[in-house]
This record gives sequence, structure tokens and C-alpha cells, in this order.
Amino acid sequence: MASAAATRGTSAAVKVVKPIFSRDLDEAKRRVRELYRAWYREVPNTVALFQLDISVRQGRDKVREMFNKNKHVTDPRVIDMLVIKGKMELQETINVWKQKTHIMRYFHETETPRPTDFLSKFYAGHDP
Amino acid sequence: MAEYIQVFRRALGQLGGHGGIRGLFYQLFRVNDLKTGALIGVDKYGNKYYEDKRYFFGRHRWVIYTEEMNGKRTVWDVDGSMVPSEWHRWLHCMTDDPPTTHPPVSRKFLAETHKFNVSGTREQYVPYSTTRKKIHEWVPPKAGSQ
Amino acid sequence: MLRLPVVSRALSGVAHTKGYGAAAGNVRTAATTASNLVEVFVDGKPVLVEPGTTVLQACEKVGVQIPRFCYHERLSVAGNCRMCLVEIEKAPKVLNINSVGKSTHWLLWLAVMVLEDLNPVPVAACAMPVMKGWNILTNSEKTKKAREGVMEFLLANHPLDCPICDQGGECDLQDQSMMFGSDRSRFTEGKRAVEDKNIGPLIKTIMTRCIQCTRCIRFASEIAGVDDLGTTGRGNEMQVGTYVEKMFMSELSGNVIDICPVGALTSKPYAFTARPWETRKTESIDVLDAVGSNIVVSTRGGEVMRILPRLNEDVNEEWISDKTRFAYDGLKRQRLTQPMVKDISGQLVPTSWEDVLTRVAGALQGAQGKDVAAIVGGLVDAEALIALKDLLNQLNSDNLCTEEVFPMAGAGTDLRSNYLLNTRISGIEEADLLLLVGTNPRYEAPLFSARVRKSWLHNDLQVALVGRKVDLSYTYEHLGESAQVLQEIVAGTHPFCKNLAQAKHPVVVLGSACLQRDDGAAVHSLVSTIAQNVRVTSGVQDSWKVLNVLHRVASQVAALDLGYKAGVEAIRNNPPKVLFLLGADGGCVTRQDLPKNSLIIYQGHHGDIGAPMADIILPGAAYTEKCGTYVNTEGRAQQTRVAVTSPGMAREDWKIIRAISELAGITLPYDTLDEVRNRLAEVAPNLVRYDDVEEANYFKQANELSKAVNQTLLSEPLVPPQLTVRDFYMTDPISRASQTMAKCVKAVTEGAQAVEEPSIC
Repeated sequence: MASAAATRGTSAAVKVVKPIFSRDLDEAKRRVRELYRAWYREVPNTVALFQLDISVRQGRDKVREMFNKNKHVTDPRVIDMLVIKGKMELQETINVWKQKTHIMRYFHETETPRPTDFLSKFYAGHDP
Repeated sequence: MAEYIQVFRRALGQLGGHGGIRGLFYQLFRVNDLKTGALIGVDKYGNKYYEDKRYFFGRHRWVIYTEEMNGKRTVWDVDGSMVPSEWHRWLHCMTDDPPTTHPPVSRKFLAETHKFNVSGTREQYVPYSTTRKKIHEWVPPKAGSQ
Repeated sequence: MLRLPVVSRALSGVAHTKGYGAAAGNVRTAATTASNLVEVFVDGKPVLVEPGTTVLQACEKVGVQIPRFCYHERLSVAGNCRMCLVEIEKAPKVLNINSVGKSTHWLLWLAVMVLEDLNPVPVAACAMPVMKGWNILTNSEKTKKAREGVMEFLLANHPLDCPICDQGGECDLQDQSMMFGSDRSRFTEGKRAVEDKNIGPLIKTIMTRCIQCTRCIRFASEIAGVDDLGTTGRGNEMQVGTYVEKMFMSELSGNVIDICPVGALTSKPYAFTARPWETRKTESIDVLDAVGSNIVVSTRGGEVMRILPRLNEDVNEEWISDKTRFAYDGLKRQRLTQPMVKDISGQLVPTSWEDVLTRVAGALQGAQGKDVAAIVGGLVDAEALIALKDLLNQLNSDNLCTEEVFPMAGAGTDLRSNYLLNTRISGIEEADLLLLVGTNPRYEAPLFSARVRKSWLHNDLQVALVGRKVDLSYTYEHLGESAQVLQEIVAGTHPFCKNLAQAKHPVVVLGSACLQRDDGAAVHSLVSTIAQNVRVTSGVQDSWKVLNVLHRVASQVAALDLGYKAGVEAIRNNPPKVLFLLGADGGCVTRQDLPKNSLIIYQGHHGDIGAPMADIILPGAAYTEKCGTYVNTEGRAQQTRVAVTSPGMAREDWKIIRAISELAGITLPYDTLDEVRNRLAEVAPNLVRYDDVEEANYFKQANELSKAVNQTLLSEPLVPPQLTVRDFYMTDPISRASQTMAKCVKAVTEGAQAVEEPSIC
């Protein structure tokens, strides 16, 4: 039954695959939009709840950035999987299973880039 | 009515009891408070100890720190350790007898002069390692020795 | 006493060639053809072996290990531990009456045979040559019982102190008692105790643990060539020791620690520091002499705990010299860990890499052409050499010198055959005549000397020496001290020419020490002529090399291969404004040789002789801390591996030079080790063909060119700098920083009791 649905959805596809949630790309996109909306609404709450030192605007920009990072994905199965992961993150955020540091990890504030050229590697240490 | 006048007078006393407008602001910024009370004593460093029993217990004794102590300017950078041990007893209500009326017994373990805490400064104590060094580095010879 | 019968030599020859398979052909043996092989059976499996092979070797050939204590592949057979007992089923005898009856009464012979067959006793596998048709039972009931019995006797007098024994974890007795011993004890008596002997600052003796396998005694008398060790007493009272209290004075003494199957002889510096299972082993190369011994560096927690030999039949067999083994504590002392710069008062003060590199780069930018020069020392790897050479060539300078002198007259260093040990170390075993000129190989290259001794012992190698008379641990003919003797040999007036003319495989070895003299070119020319003449008279085939140069420092061959000038003469004549010392601790050039305002940059790993006179110090990595290419005196490229990280801010040498080049605006085109090695391969491809020797040739042409040299020979005798064992221990920055080596020097001069330490155990 499910495989029949998949063939109907992606008629061009040669290989019949089992969908995760969405039968076609439009449905997958709808799920993405739903997730984005949920995140968008949650950001002010998160900023207040976790006492983050960022504005709501910054938070929403980051959400947008995270979504944009995967905009090249067109496979509904992959999109669905990403949505699942996004939902998990969202749940962890809403229920404060995360802590402040886990949220701020999206912003990469404390990460120093690894040295790439010879001289900065040389200054950094023995074999960075 | 009369008690309101009393309160008003106290407020006025607190505003005026610090030596004019200048003294008022100086006190406000330095101590963050405008309490006035009876001066119980001044220790050898110039810290002034006050008491006002009308305040709630725990707030009724306070110290206004001296402005210079052992060569260090202590207008803004004050330190709880500036209170000498004999006044510490009184200030923390271990006793009601201030050292002005009951001179303290001198003990040899009590410091003669106050020493500031040197943590975080250049003179701070750093424990040295007692483990064996894995690498003994070369110490260059002193310049004039050869 | 050792150099006697031909028969035993032939037997021991078999023993040596069988050893590790790879050794085949190193020692000349009687030619055997396939037809006279003997068939024996090991646990029923047939195997063809040469006649004279021992039972133990036959078993080894099919992969069956027989337990043993006293037997060692490279030592003579003693057969006194009895651990290798095996049962043997003899083939039914076909009696040949004719052959038997001549001398003995054949009935008696028959009776003996029958009795033997009825009740065979187990035989010691290490000493019994195989006979045709024998079936060796290595796992039979009788064999097992014999082993258990022997083990019980061995353990009767062995202390149960494995928890505090340094051999624990790598002890043959421990392992074999687990494998072959009985699982319960019948022992109720008391144990024998033996007094410990003080045999020097390197070897710790706990003689109660000794099981009298006599491996150390045989090693000392056969390999090391010092008859210091021996046994006293017999039976239960038998002891191994030095008879009188004295130091075991040999440059190879540390190897008895490895061959001792129990914890009786252990390393003194290593005592109670680490266990074998907690150390990490890194296979590396030794650089403290020019032999390039293969070693294993044991490290724990970023610290070198000890150094052990690694098997390489072509270089060091399985031995290493004491300097190689014990100088590792020099790696932990006197180290340069931070970049340093001289301040206004002339005091060296630590600073940052950014600071020193900018200073060095600035100085190099200001100096072009002949204003800048470099001297490299004896412990530098080929990667650093090529990087430095590229850097200076970019600055239009070609003043790159090595500390060791090599005469540039004649063919000089243009022909590789001029400066290599062409015969190779293992080639000595095929030689029948060896002429040493101005060298003391025993202390300049102990492993080379051990090969010479091996060949002298087993192959009747005839050794002759020109130069100061020294104790070589083998007999030699002393031809004279001065270089004039060489002239006589060339002219054919010397009596030794008779021997030279008879030699079939002659070898001439020239020590690099006598090339340091002012008449080095003349000496080299004479030796080259002798070699060429001998080669013609011996009629040896073309692949045999006669002329050899024995170097003393590890970096010299690589430096010459890469086109460095040998000797600092050019720098003395033409003092530069900027002098770059790369590990140069020989003290060849001092501040007095340079103009007043010149800048000296020292890059290296030890504060020894070079560092105090430098204006800028760049801390580099020592040989255990970098992956570097070294070429030994044969021309064999080998590489060291990173065992520990370099201390503090020290970096690998080629990286420092590469960083300088970037700041000076002349970036060298390599970022990784592989890219540096590609560059090495462009310049000298043999440097990256690891474990391979690139053959050198053009001996004849080199000799022709060397005849153009007209230097007058000095009349002073040829004296190698290392005459006695005292001069052996401290020769380079690492061993000079080592306390163990200092103790050795003290013990040699003042006696072993001078460095007596309070014994803990």
C-alpha cells in the first residue's frame, strides 16, 4: 500500500521506496513549514526561559539559518528525517531538557577555528 | 502625627548628617547607604564604627572604612579584612563591649599591622610542584660570567 | 681459546646461519648440495636439514619452539640448562658389520645399540646433531615429564620475587614455567642465596636469581671479547661473576641484560621505573654513532623509559652499544625547550616563536650571498639538511658546511664511493683480510667492530692496523703509527704487502678521524691507492668493494649526499655576518672567528657548546621526537620515528626552517613531511629508499683523481680520538648531557665502587 503511494507521488522515480511520512515533496515541504513555524513561535519563549543573551531577532535569524542550511535537500525521505531531528531538538528545548550551553552551541561562540596554513599550525603546537 | 514628624526628622538627619550635599553624595556612592548613628569608636587605621539600636538587629552596627590604609587607597576598593580582630568581635555581635571600653587582650598570634590579601596580584603565593620534572631544560649562562 | 678447531667452527657456522633465516650466507660454511640433506621427523612431520644441524634447529625449521635457557642463536652451544630435553625415536638400525667390526668388538656395539633402543633417554635438543630418520617428539609424555623435572630443579633455587623483579613480564623463566612447568610444588627445603656483584653503573646484578645458563659468560667472551665473566664453584655452589670485584668493562656490556633469561642481570638506570606491558614501543634508529643501529624506544607518559635493540641482520644483528642503550637520560636533561634571544645585556632570555622567527627572518633578509653561512652538526636528519640547504640557496649562498672534515681535493665528495663504507657491515663477514687505518672501530662503531670480531673468530679474518695501538678485542698485526707506513705499503716495500697480495677478499677501512688532519687528502689518496692495488692483486670480482670510510657521526653521509661541503674551512676564510648553526656542537667555529657584529643562530635540542655562543636559539627535536631520515656509514637510509613529543615549544627541525623561510618571504615549497621527502628524492633519491643501500662505484676513477692530490704527509702518528673505553661514553650533545654516561666515565677511571649507589633491593 505504502509503496503504491510512493510510486504515485514520485512518478518519475524508477525505484520504489517506502516513505517516512510524506508521500511527495509538497507534503514534505508542508512539514518543514510547520516545523519552522513552531520554532519561530518558540524562540521568544526560549530566550526568556533560558535567559539567553541574544535578542529574539538573533534567535529567529539563527533558526532561519539552520533551515537554510538544508535547503538543497529535495529527497522527501531525507527532508522527513531532518524534520524529525528538528522536532526532537524543539522538544528538548521546550521541555528544558537542554541547558543554556546546548542552545548557545548553535551560535559557535567559543569555537576557535583550527589552523590551516603552515605557519599558524607551527605557532599553534606540535601537530595540530 | 507626631511619629511622622519623628520619621521626617530622622530622614532629614540622615540626609544632612554627612557633611552637606557633597558629603551626602560621597557617602551614597561609596557606601550605598545614608545611615547615621552613634560613633562608637575609631580603630588605629581610621575605620569608624557606628551603632544605632533603632535598626533591626544585624543592621545596627556598621563600619565606614578609612580612605587610606597601609599605603593603599581604600576609597572604593575596600575589603572586609580591613576590620581588625578586636573590632571584628564587636561588629559581628559576638560581644556588646567595644574595645574602646574593654581593651582587648593582646595575643601574639594577632597581626600587628594589617596585611592585604595578595591573591590575584604579583605577590600571590603559588604552590610549587614537588613531583620530578620529566625534562630539565637548559639554563643559559649569566651574561657577565664568561 | 675460542679461535680453534675447524670442526666446531663449521658447526657453529651452521648454528649462525640457521638463526633467523636471514643470516644465511653471512658466515661461510661448507657448501652443501641438496643431495646430502638428512631427513628427520618432528612429531611425525618430515623435514630435510643439513647434516650437523641440531635437533633444536630442525624443530625450529618446522616452526616448533623448544623451550630453552642456555641456548642462544648467536652464541656457542653450552647445553647446561637441560630445558630443551626432547624424546627421540630412533630409526631401526641397519647394522653395517663391515664398518663396525673394525675397531670394536661388534657384539658389544650391538648390545649398546639394543639397550639404547629399548630405553631411550631424552636428549638435549640444542647440543645433539640429528641423524637420519630420527623422529623428534616435542610433545610426548616423556618430554613433558623431563621438562617439568628440569623446571622444578631450576625453580628450587630461584627466588619468588617476580613482583619486585625488573624482568617480570619479559622473563623466560616466568613464561616457560607457566608453559612447561608443573602446576604444584613439592618444595619444602630452603633456597640458596648468592651475594650480588657490583659490575658497574650500567648492569644491576641480583645473582640469587641466576640459573647459571652462562649466556652472559659466552656473550662476554665470544661477542664482546672480554673474558671478564666466568663461573666459580660447582654444583649448588656455582656462581657467575667476575672472580674479583671489577667492572664489566665492555662497550657492548648492556646486551647481557637482553640475553639474560631471568632477572639476574637487569638495567641499573631502568631499575624499578616501568613494566614492559605499560610502555609503548616505537621502532626507531640510533644516531649516536654512524652505524645506525636499529632500536626500539620504550616510552611511557611522554618519557623515554629505555632503549632496546631491534633485529637487523645487515646492521646491528641484535646487539646495540652501551651508548645507544643508556644515553637516553641525556634526552631529558639540558634541553632547549623555548626559543631564546639575547637581550641588550647579552643575556639569553626566553621569548615566543613569533618573535624569534621574525628576528631570524629579518637577519636573513638583510644578508645575501656570502654574508650568510650554515654549519650542521652530527645529529641532524636529512629533512632538516635539505630544508636548510634550500633556504640558503634561495639567499644565493652556498656556504653550507658540516662539522666533520672530509678532504675535498681529488674527487672529494663528488664520488660517493669515496666516503662510504662500501663493503657494508655484513660484508666484513666475507672478507679474509682487513686493514684498519687510523681508527679504533671498537669505540667509534662498536657494532662494526663486533662484526669484525665475529669474522675474526669464525672465518680466520686477518686484521692489520695502521695508527695508534689500541685494544680491539681481537688480535691484529700492528703495522706502525704514522702515515708513512701507508706510503711504504703503496711502494710495496712494507713486509705486510706480502699478506695483502695473498688476500682473496681484502677490505681497507679508513677512519674518519684521520681525515680531520691537515693531510687528510693525502691519507685518503694513499688508502685509495692501496685499496685499488689490492683489488687488482686479489683478482676479486667487480662487485666486491675494497675501499671503506668509517664515519663517526650519523648525519655526515646524508649531508655529503645532499651536497654539503665537509669542513668549516670555507667559513673561517670567509666569515659571514649571519651564521646558522644546525645542531653544531663540535665547537669548530667560535665567536672569535667571526666579525664583531655577526649574528649566530643556533638550532638544536641541547644546550651544549653551540647554544651558549648563539644570539638566537631555536629549540629543535631530538632523534626520538621526530620522524627523520638518517643515512648510516654504509649509505643505508633509515628513518627514526616519533616516540615522544618534543618538550616545551621545541619543533621539528625542518618545520622551523620552513617557518623562517615563509617569514623571510622565500617560502620553501613544502608543508608536510611527505613533500619534504619528495624534495629529498629529487636531490638524492637514495635517501628515501629506506632500509636499502645504494651501491657506490667509480673506485678506479676516484683513485685516478686522488693521485692529483699533492699534500705532504705529516709525521705525527695517526691517533683516533677514542683510544680507551673512557673516551667512548661521551661524544655528542646527548651523551654529554647523560648522567648515566658520566657515571660510566667515573666508574672507568675510579673503579666501579666509586659510583656505588645505595641498593634498594
